[in-house]
Amino acid sequence: MTGDVILTFAADAPVGVAPWWVMLIPALPMLGVILCTLMAIAGVRSKLPAWVTVGCLGASFVVAVAMLLNHGEGAAVAKAWDWFHISWGDAQGQQFNAIFGFYIDRLTILWMLFVTGLATLIGLYASEYMSHDVGPGYCRFFVAFNLFVFSMACLVMGANMLMLYLGWEGVGLCSYLLIGYYYKKPSAVAAGKKAFIVNRIGDLGLALGVYLTFVHFGTIEYAELFASDKLAGYLEHASHGDFSHIPLAAQVIPMLLMVGAFGKSAQLPLYVWLPDAMEGPTPVSALIHAATMVTAGVFLIARTYPVFQVSEYALPTVAWIGGLTAFFSATIGMAQFDIKRIMAYSTVSQLGYMFAGLGVLTSVGAAAHVFTHAFFKALLFLCCGAVMHGFAGQLDLRKLSGLWRMKGWGIVSITMLVGCLNLAGFPVITSGFWSKDMIMAEAFVRPGMGPVGWLLLITAGLTAYYTFRVFFRVFVGPQEYHPGDELHDDGHGAEHFHPHAPGWAINSVLVILAVLSFVAIPLVALNHGGWVGEMIHGSTAHYEAHAEAGHHGSVWLAGFNPHAVMYYISAVVGIAGILVAYALHLRGRTSAGEAPAAEAFKNALGPVQRWAEHKWYVDELYDFLFRKPLWVLSQIFRYVDMLLVDGLVNTAGWIPSALGGRLRRGQNGVLQSYAASMAGGLALFVVVVLILASRSG
Amino acid sequence: MIERLTYLWPELSLFVATCVVMVLGLSPSKETRRLCAWVSAVALLVAGGLAINAPGDPSALLPNLMPFTKLLVAMVGLVLLMLLAGTVDREYEADILAGRTTFNALRSNRAEFYSFFLFSLTGLMLCTSAESLIWLFLALELTSLPTYIMVTISTRGTRSQEAGVKYFFLGALGAAFFLYGFALIYGGTGATHFSDIAASVRANGMNPILTLGMLISLIGVFFKIAAVPMHFYTPDVYQGAASSVSAFLAFVPKTAGFVAIMTLCAAIGWEYGPHGENLPEAVRLLLWITAALTMTVGNTLALRQRSVKRILAYSSIAHSGYMLVGVIAGPGDTPGAFSTNGLAAVLFYLLCYGFMNVGAFAVLAALRRPDGSEADDLDDIRGLCQTHPVLGWSMVLCALSLLGMPPLLGFMGKLGLFYTAVNAGEIAIIIVLGVNSAIAACYYLRLVVTPYLERPAEADVLAVEPARVVSRPVAAVISAASVVVLVFAIQPLLSASGEAGAVAPPSAAPSADAAVD
Repeated sequence: MTGDVILTFAADAPVGVAPWWVMLIPALPMLGVILCTLMAIAGVRSKLPAWVTVGCLGASFVVAVAMLLNHGEGAAVAKAWDWFHISWGDAQGQQFNAIFGFYIDRLTILWMLFVTGLATLIGLYASEYMSHDVGPGYCRFFVAFNLFVFSMACLVMGANMLMLYLGWEGVGLCSYLLIGYYYKKPSAVAAGKKAFIVNRIGDLGLALGVYLTFVHFGTIEYAELFASDKLAGYLEHASHGDFSHIPLAAQVIPMLLMVGAFGKSAQLPLYVWLPDAMEGPTPVSALIHAATMVTAGVFLIARTYPVFQVSEYALPTVAWIGGLTAFFSATIGMAQFDIKRIMAYSTVSQLGYMFAGLGVLTSVGAAAHVFTHAFFKALLFLCCGAVMHGFAGQLDLRKLSGLWRMKGWGIVSITMLVGCLNLAGFPVITSGFWSKDMIMAEAFVRPGMGPVGWLLLITAGLTAYYTFRVFFRVFVGPQEYHPGDELHDDGHGAEHFHPHAPGWAINSVLVILAVLSFVAIPLVALNHGGWVGEMIHGSTAHYEAHAEAGHHGSVWLAGFNPHAVMYYISAVVGIAGILVAYALHLRGRTSAGEAPAAEAFKNALGPVQRWAEHKWYVDELYDFLFRKPLWVLSQIFRYVDMLLVDGLVNTAGWIPSALGGRLRRGQNGVLQSYAASMAGGLALFVVVVLILASRSG
Repeated sequence: MIERLTYLWPELSLFVATCVVMVLGLSPSKETRRLCAWVSAVALLVAGGLAINAPGDPSALLPNLMPFTKLLVAMVGLVLLMLLAGTVDREYEADILAGRTTFNALRSNRAEFYSFFLFSLTGLMLCTSAESLIWLFLALELTSLPTYIMVTISTRGTRSQEAGVKYFFLGALGAAFFLYGFALIYGGTGATHFSDIAASVRANGMNPILTLGMLISLIGVFFKIAAVPMHFYTPDVYQGAASSVSAFLAFVPKTAGFVAIMTLCAAIGWEYGPHGENLPEAVRLLLWITAALTMTVGNTLALRQRSVKRILAYSSIAHSGYMLVGVIAGPGDTPGAFSTNGLAAVLFYLLCYGFMNVGAFAVLAALRRPDGSEADDLDDIRGLCQTHPVLGWSMVLCALSLLGMPPLLGFMGKLGLFYTAVNAGEIAIIIVLGVNSAIAACYYLRLVVTPYLERPAEADVLAVEPARVVSRPVAAVISAASVVVLVFAIQPLLSASGEAGAVAPPSAAPSADAAVD
């Protein structure tokens, strides 16, 4: 490679054939779907569906590990069957082919490892968490749970963009089904609808992007796309910074795909559905809305990274959107009181980091953050879930305090601390610190991305603050609790409420996840990206910046290398955030609801605090900007439809009906008249046809 | 002649089973009588298995038609068998069981019913193997004659008998037409073998007698596919027969008819017109007019019906019109490719139609009114998704597929017809087809809305209950599931029908066959 080539991608190696058994990864969850459906039909009223699910997903994880061990270099495709094979000519671009198959490279393996692994653990957790609902609801939950893993496997492993789209819609459907799991609760139903509709906007972008990819490149198979000369040519141009020779269509493709990614991964301006999605059961929030599904957007961009590199504006846009989302949702998270909701905003914010990472060309950093975030955010959600489960749905941080000293809550408190340290980016001993660091350092390195770097750095401080705000209020301090409104009426009433501490399934999953969040440290930290870096380097998301020294355009802090100095800065910022949280929310707090320092701080901020608490009125703004005008428009259309269109249609509809009425007289049921009509018809047809034929011929 | 045996193993297996079933059904032992359905099922499986590995006949005009169509017939036949089970002799058997009467072979209809069912399928398979006009005629009649009796004995009411008589007389008239047409074709070419006819046409071109013969025989065969002007019997007969038998009528004679039409057209070839890709003008016009009229008549008449069976009967007429479009489009320039081959589109549509139509009838057959009669009125399926969800959803899926709703199987079938016709430049008939699809939506959507959206009828008044034949809901579910599932395995089906619809290249046909007689 010559010195001035700064962009390369590692799909030059020929695509091999993957072993057939990788198909078991999606097939086993599908088996789970079928078995759980059968159990629902059979009316199983035990925890059997959960064990079947854990079994299927666990086996799937084992296959994923085998896939890791078996995989060599480059990419391989496992084809199940030809899915579509449509041709309308022999020329290039006149054939639409899509196989039902799987594209295996290291990116796929990385993603499938944590998807199946976490799904297994969270399935185990859910076996206990959902136990109040044993029966048809329990089966329904696990059917959707398995279906989700199947769809996610199609999304991640799919050999072409159509498979990706199948999985994309599949996970969207499962998300909808699981958010609305408590379908008797209006807010859950509304949240499900919101998620579904907001995602439609993103999905439209994705669909158009896939379509345009096909139109422009003539294929949607990854193997063919990444090997195409056209794309290689564009990348060659892009590597010299010459974008004028790349057609507009090729530059628009990433813009469209990006819209899809923003929808699924809850980025500005389409993030509004994710916080509401917390209406679903907590295991769902942990698996789908924190660890796996919402990273599909990151995956999409990572998978099609070469396509993104041919556009001048695509990756900078991704970086800016990511940075802004990270900052914006962190400010909202700071002012919320519902701990699950805080975690939801923090998910949006952390996803912003991942996008910013992709945008500033550190796909390794983004993937590392996806990887570490999957563990510690799932852990945080599951801790919140344990609290919610034990305190009858109580999630308000003003109503709970000092949990760690209560009997049976030790494991939850310790693991929660681990999760919080990770999210806050506590230096050195947490994996979250290392992965977040990579992104922030790279943001300062990239020319023109300095502001994004600053946004991310400030956000890191805010993150540490709101994370430990939760911890200091709920888990330490004076002991106090008020049960939530999901109190079972067992004749005691609220004053005799006893929290029930989590059982072995929940506790063991929490411990495993906490351990994994430490195990992840060497995997992401060693040698610039560690194992995760290696996985990314062997995939389509690989990006290599050559000539390191010459390209530190915005080298920052008086000649210090941001890569080196960022460790110290982000460590300071993180600890400062924690200290502020301590000062405001733990020191001097006498009861769960009273924190004088925090009150004073709040009053000092005045209206800003109130706006943040109301989520900057974004929902109201969308309501005003989109829903109201659409409603007015729909009313107008309704009247046009009623008066004009219906009138025309009714007239048009009357004609066939009247014709039918006429023709019906012929159907009088008399044999002789039928026979006569047939014979007459024969004669008439022959004569008419012969006359017409002789005229024209 | 004996070489033809290579191709006839599926037919032979069915024929053997026919004879066995005819004897088994007369046994005084209840258990032995019960074997009828099982033996038929095994025979169909064997026939299907033999058809899979059957060789194509390189000397035929449509070399690979046989294996595909025979397998299709065997598979749909299996679903039909599940549906037909329990149609006859149910009360009689119950009486015997209760000791009210003893078994009398003369009163029992079981043997006839199953063996005629197999006979008819044998005839259908023979149609695809036909190499000459005489063979084709005999095969068509073997397909139809058993159905007259099946209609008559399908229920104990007089309506079935009336329907059977009507069907028989009109069927005989139709047969007379096409036999006359066949005679004229022989007169025009001096040959009865299709390959000889093709050779003669290729050498000497069309002549007036041949043209007249083609027109009359096609119109005669239109009776089998229920196309205008031979469609009058359809609603009366379908309504008079039991739903299970109506489903049978809508698939088996229709398939036979289309096989005959394709074979006849292949004999004169799609080698006329400005680009040398059309049928002779007179034949093309006949098919064109018939297709347009058939869809329009079928769809408009269905609009005002309240009887589901009549709706499905008219829909069966309309679908014949759709499929004729594929015959007009012809095999195109690259015969093996599905997307340009109209005959392949027809064959694929027959497959789609077979499943979705059988499914809709199966739902009806699986229900009965409290007085023991079959469900038929739209009121009977009201709210079915709530009262009997499995049947209700089967009906919804099948109706949506009949309507051609993407992405169900019916849509794929219709897409093929549209596509090949566009390729052949037949834009006008496409417009007629499009308008008709829109009209059809009116009544198919009623079959969707009534079970799905409307409230069930008051429980005490009109409630239908499941008929006590286990296999019928299974047939409904299998059909409805195929409508969805087959979409995911569409590619092998498309390539198989593309292969089956390929016509032999001109040079291969004549010489190989001359030595046969």
